[in-house]
Amino acid sequence: MAETASESFTLVITGAPYSSQAPQTALGFAQAAVNAGHRIDRVFLYGDGVHLASALCAPPSDETHWPEAWSQFLAEHSIPGVACIASALRRGLVNETEQKRYELPASNLRAPFEIAGLGEWVEGRIKSTRTLYFHAGD
Amino acid sequence: MTAIQTLHILNKSPDHPRATRCLEMVAEEDCLLLIGGGVLLLATDNLPGISRVFALTQDLDARGLANLAGNVSAVDYAEMVSLSVQAQRVISW
Amino acid sequence: MSTLIMIDQAPYGTWSGREALDMAFSLAAFDQAASLLFTGAGVNWLKKGQEAGGIGQKSVDKNLAAAPIFGIEAILADRAACRTYGLDENSLIEGVTLVNADAALLAAYDHTAFAG
Repeated sequence: MAETASESFTLVITGAPYSSQAPQTALGFAQAAVNAGHRIDRVFLYGDGVHLASALCAPPSDETHWPEAWSQFLAEHSIPGVACIASALRRGLVNETEQKRYELPASNLRAPFEIAGLGEWVEGRIKSTRTLYFHAGD
Repeated sequence: MTAIQTLHILNKSPDHPRATRCLEMVAEEDCLLLIGGGVLLLATDNLPGISRVFALTQDLDARGLANLAGNVSAVDYAEMVSLSVQAQRVISW
Repeated sequence: MSTLIMIDQAPYGTWSGREALDMAFSLAAFDQAASLLFTGAGVNWLKKGQEAGGIGQKSVDKNLAAAPIFGIEAILADRAACRTYGLDENSLIEGVTLVNADAALLAAYDHTAFAG
């Protein structure tokens, strides 16, 4: 069956980096999708997946820096990356807006990730031809 | 390849309850793609009876299972994308 | 475009069930057809009389009972899982439909998703 038209994907990541393989598998998939001429409509981080948007990760130098790898991929291909606000606030991932709103001592959201609600996921599902989920393996 | 009704993507190892649930749902019109810990299914005798079972090469290699790839079709990320596009539905277990 | 959100993990010990409920309610809020399927240990979300205050959480049985008002089309529970956990019509909250969670059920929905 030939793929004649390019498809659009919403990718949902619910597993955290360094706790699961989800960010790695999702990046492998995303890179292959772009290489095949498809479009990634958006990447949505949900549950523990929001940790991928942290600006404060400092993994050992001989390990892949997953937040950085994802930030670079999103920026290079102008793909929106969204961390779910409910998941992010609970887990301590905040941007400057939320830092001010909740009078927190710092913000730590890595560009180009934004924070938004589940409506972004709903919209992605409606607009994209495919929605895939990358969960933790446990 | 004939039409794929559902692509089931399974990353749970065989001991995980959701792996059992997934395997109960796969039918001949579907494809099963094993990724992550899901590739460990190849090391057991419990492959489902359907003809289209795939496993992600990188995850097979990571777990030292490349020698079992002959029982299924080993695929890369490009083919994972292709399968997800061909299927009418994708369920990520 | 109809969606089935599946919950197979027990309540309160992990958050994926709560996150699945949020997904289903979001779909309904945006006028998207959504149903919930509880299976495995997840059927325990549907038990009457949950009082989670003592562990610092909110009980969801009242939210679930109100789900139809919020636009959730169906609350489905796997018959065999209910049997495993000793849940019957008397112990389940209102509005639950017992089903066999099989391929035919999933095939009726355009999308099936877990929260994690």
